Amino acid sequence: MSVWNYAVTAHKPTSVTHSCVGNFTSPQELNLIIAKCTRIEIHLLTPHGLQPMLDVPIYGRIATLELFRPHGEPQDFLFIATERYKFCVLQWDTETSELITRAMGDVSDRIGRPTDNGQIGIIDPDCRIIGLHLYDGLFKVIPFDNRGQLKEAFNIRLEELQVLDIKFLYGCLKPTIVVLYQDNKDARHVKTYEVALKDKDFVEGPWSQNNLDNGASLLIPVPMPLGGVIIIGEETIVYCNGSAFKAIPIRPSITRAYGRVDADGSRYLLGDNAGLLHLLVITYERERVTGLKIEHLGETSVASTISYLDNAVVYVGSSYGDSQLIKLNLQPDAKGSYVEVLERYVNLGPIVDFCVVDLERQGQGQVVTCSGAYKDGSLRIVRNGIGINEQASVELQGIKGLWSLRSSTNDPYDTFLVVSFISETRVLAMNMDDELEESEIEGFCAEVQTLFCQNAIDDQLVQVTANSVRLVSSTTRELLHEWNAPSGYSVNVATANACQVLLATGGGHLVYLEISDKKLVEVKHVQLEYEISCLDINPIGDNSNYSSLAAVGMWTDISVRIFSLPNLELLVKENLGGEIIPRSVLLCTFEGVSYLLCALGDGHLLNFLLNVNTGELSNRKKVSLGTQPIMLRTFSSKDTTYVFAASDRPTVIYSSNKKLLYSNVNLKEVSHMCPFNSAAFPDSLAIAKEGELSIGTIDDIQKLHIRTIPLGEQARRICHQEQSRTFAICSFKNCLTSNEETEMHFIRLLDDQTFEFISTYPLDTYEHGCSILSCSFSDDNNAYYCVGTAYVLPEENEPSKGRILVFVVEDGKLQLIAEKETKGAVYSLNAFNGKLLAAINQKIQLYKWMLREDGSRELQSECGHHGHIVALYVQTRGDFIVVGDLMKSISLLLYKHEEGAIEELARDYNANWMSAVEILDDDVFIGAENNYNLFTVRKNSDAATDEERGRLEVVGEYHLGEFVNRFRHGSLVMRLPDSESGHIPTVIFGTINGVIGVVASLPHDHYVFFEKLQSNLVKVIKGVGGLSHEQWRSFNNEKRTVDARNFLDGDLIESFLDLSRNKMDEIASSMGVSLEELSRRVEELTRLH
Amino acid sequence: MESEGSPAPKARAAKGAASPPPDNTASKYLSGLPSRGLFSSPVLSSNLGGIRVYLCDHDTAPPEGQLIKTNTTNILIRALQNNKQKGDLKDLLSKSATGIATGKRSVRTAEGKPPPKKAKSTSASTSNHRGSSSNGFSENTLQTMTVERLRALLKDRGLPTRGKKDELIARLKDEA
Repeated sequence: MSVWNYAVTAHKPTSVTHSCVGNFTSPQELNLIIAKCTRIEIHLLTPHGLQPMLDVPIYGRIATLELFRPHGEPQDFLFIATERYKFCVLQWDTETSELITRAMGDVSDRIGRPTDNGQIGIIDPDCRIIGLHLYDGLFKVIPFDNRGQLKEAFNIRLEELQVLDIKFLYGCLKPTIVVLYQDNKDARHVKTYEVALKDKDFVEGPWSQNNLDNGASLLIPVPMPLGGVIIIGEETIVYCNGSAFKAIPIRPSITRAYGRVDADGSRYLLGDNAGLLHLLVITYERERVTGLKIEHLGETSVASTISYLDNAVVYVGSSYGDSQLIKLNLQPDAKGSYVEVLERYVNLGPIVDFCVVDLERQGQGQVVTCSGAYKDGSLRIVRNGIGINEQASVELQGIKGLWSLRSSTNDPYDTFLVVSFISETRVLAMNMDDELEESEIEGFCAEVQTLFCQNAIDDQLVQVTANSVRLVSSTTRELLHEWNAPSGYSVNVATANACQVLLATGGGHLVYLEISDKKLVEVKHVQLEYEISCLDINPIGDNSNYSSLAAVGMWTDISVRIFSLPNLELLVKENLGGEIIPRSVLLCTFEGVSYLLCALGDGHLLNFLLNVNTGELSNRKKVSLGTQPIMLRTFSSKDTTYVFAASDRPTVIYSSNKKLLYSNVNLKEVSHMCPFNSAAFPDSLAIAKEGELSIGTIDDIQKLHIRTIPLGEQARRICHQEQSRTFAICSFKNCLTSNEETEMHFIRLLDDQTFEFISTYPLDTYEHGCSILSCSFSDDNNAYYCVGTAYVLPEENEPSKGRILVFVVEDGKLQLIAEKETKGAVYSLNAFNGKLLAAINQKIQLYKWMLREDGSRELQSECGHHGHIVALYVQTRGDFIVVGDLMKSISLLLYKHEEGAIEELARDYNANWMSAVEILDDDVFIGAENNYNLFTVRKNSDAATDEERGRLEVVGEYHLGEFVNRFRHGSLVMRLPDSESGHIPTVIFGTINGVIGVVASLPHDHYVFFEKLQSNLVKVIKGVGGLSHEQWRSFNNEKRTVDARNFLDGDLIESFLDLSRNKMDEIASSMGVSLEELSRRVEELTRLH
Repeated sequence: MESEGSPAPKARAAKGAASPPPDNTASKYLSGLPSRGLFSSPVLSSNLGGIRVYLCDHDTAPPEGQLIKTNTTNILIRALQNNKQKGDLKDLLSKSATGIATGKRSVRTAEGKPPPKKAKSTSASTSNHRGSSSNGFSENTLQTMTVERLRALLKDRGLPTRGKKDELIARLKDEA
């Protein structure tokens, strides 16, 4: 790897932090807007459900998201504030479908202590001011003028320093805030202030309320006519408006989110940290509040935001589990719940740990994450590509072709499966019991290999063999007509659609037949100069039964030609170059764009844009899909067309945003495929693989496929053991023991195929699992699971005791082999030179695996190294040890064999609070820290002085905007040795918001090229809301802000491919390269993830 | 299947043991949830198309004057300036109270600033009425003044200084 890195998102953030509902895209349309950390999603509410509209990247971490309606505007504006103190006001332009910046600005102050309880951004309900609480003791006001324009902001001193929540009150003559705060005796109170715009100051407000519930943390302002505010505590809920005061006790819980149901504010939904949903009702008579009621409704994911949509449907956004769309039913179900989950939106966040494994042993990595928190904890298996779920299979050797046929033209389901072999053709059919059994179509010739067969118009079937074309009635199954190949010639390749047949015989003869009622008519016959290798007449025009173009692949001159039908005139000839013949051609249409796909004998695939009228080919692109000849076939799933490329690396080709995408299929080698949509196996594919015919359904087509294993508890660490084919996890759950909630921690063993718990080792009371490792020791070949723990005692600030447990898997059980007590928490374990390297509090400790006299084994400490605050993350390479410290950045240690000692070689003297480290190569290490930055450091081993050698030089800095919990070497995609990207090393990272990303180390010339592209793109692709890309990606922590260097923003670079053609041309010309070359190089990058 | 089967009877038993009425109450409160005809289809579709990634290739700079900055005046300095203004006005007021200024001028200045001691609690209401009362005291401003100050103002204008506060105010207003 190298210092020139490329950071790109493979899986976008999924953790939902904010949501709001309003008329954003038009005065008539109701939208749900969701914030997912660095992106917002705009959805449209329709009678049929929630319709996704737009996914908008924001150059910042969203701290506040609010919809508001300035005076005189027909639709809502969106206010977004980011954690780095930028804000913008966005308006949707209905005509151009663009987001217009109405205002933006920087709301940072030079002095000020950032608030502990998060940034607060609120908008006065009468739209007079925007209020921001960003620094302790300061309240920033952005006033509106009477035309709805924003004016210069100003700060007001807020006496309360520990602010928990601030809201605007409804129905006040002057903008009035209500502040929930904690005093220096830890008591909580609310207070109101009027904002005096002229004096730029606060005026004591109409009322205040002292000594609230000690857990009061959330304010809900109540609209007029009631007015006032609801204060949500842990044990009570209080309504208060200065004159009235109502309180009700609640079951102790921490409310995390609320959603208003009625416009008059009489009902609210409350979500607590156990995922329970309650309805809070304000009862009132003649605008006077008479009481509060709370009703338990049911359970959802732990909500971070709740938005009532319409007609009893509610959006529950979560950052701890899957977000949900729920319906509130009038009557409870059998379990007493009023909540019906309509839909779940996958959320990987928070990814606390993950591992990269190759479970199917295909040479392609899969990521298994520890996702979710508390009750929503789960393991997620994230895989690039598409899964085939096998439904049935039979052993059949030597399949040469596979086609499905319907029993009549209008039958929605396929009945027959025609399987061709070298010297026979067999027909399988679904019987009455929905079983596949051997059948017969009398009119077909069963004694020879079938080259092609097809349902034709008017309940007819076509079979092409080497000698003839047979037209068979699908009702009587009798031969209607036969066209015989000229004597001395046999048919080599053939294709057909519902009314046309095109075939090629030896000697380069191309014959075109049309199917009419009960007759095959030879329409045209031409002779080409070379032999024909493949053909296609898949209809892509307006008529779905008739094609006016034919694609023909040729031997000898290695070309593909487009002929017109019916007169077989040559329209276009495209030389493919090279010496590999085309083995399969296909005409197809994706998202209204027509393509010619041409697969070569060496696993490469060429695609061209096809002009349907003239047959012209343009925009040639070449990708490598495998190493063996490819057979192309179309199939459709959920009304969308896909192409299946059968080869040693089966691939599904589809289109998204008018871009062709290639997804691997989780099968080893497929020789033939055909869609088989039968009543018993709807929407399935029949697949011929080595010695086997199988029928399976296909996963939803998307780039990353995620499988969820719910655990019901939170997993914190995971590792995989190849030898025992198991995963081991450290997990915990909250258990109620005698009315007190305690955390119980476990080591659990899971089967790596079924993901079932097969063995559990409970840890002691107060003992937490902190690290886990699968390793072997020198002179002992067994594979062990080593677990590091800590005793987290309530009275201790830092654990002073822990254990290292060594397990072996025997008969699917975890057997404890050895145990070693430590003087602190074991934060990290690494296999190191056949020994075990542990990070224990501030110390790095090396253990030997010793054989005792009685034959048992024990860990014996060998040497150690002090000098860290807390050594949290350790990675090793050879004799080198890289340590990520709690607050002292990265240091490099060396183990000296002769002396049996560990010494520090160098360190980075910046004070970075680390969250993950990884070794990129011998000299370069990457770190992530808690201000969402990435940085790389380099060892200075060639430096002249000791002092310089002792310093790790910071070589790259970048603001990722995501909190990285783990780096792992590996790749999500299959690396093909002959593609350029095959040699680019990559590291995968996982973050709190559910992002899976890739850091790829580019060769220097690539880096320079893409850096130039990035600087060109910044000029064309603007930040939404006027936010600057340069500022967003600049490394930033409390101490300093510097421009990003030696990191490229892959998300920006890859969005090049989504630009309009003329913008792409513009960039290509300013880069001085051809558009084809530029697109190819960017596409190459997209194949890194 | 067993694991799924077991909690259900338990839940049912628990519900029976507790009390069915609470269930009814929740039903009562859940009736009449707002509806605008959205999500009305009996079968809500789970997949209404993919989401388009927004690519912003137009100029996103805010319109003129809408690049918002924070007033850089230090809060302390602003407070001092405010106080100073108040102080100036107080001086003017006291001058007018000594009879140098004409009635009208004193009216205007006094209306601008009530005495500083009261400033904290009343500035809101003064600013509120500042616009409407440029030709004289507003009732509110007068209401906030002490009887003594009202008497001083009356004396300035050569009016009788006896009577209740309301009468004094009425007299001043008539004069204005």
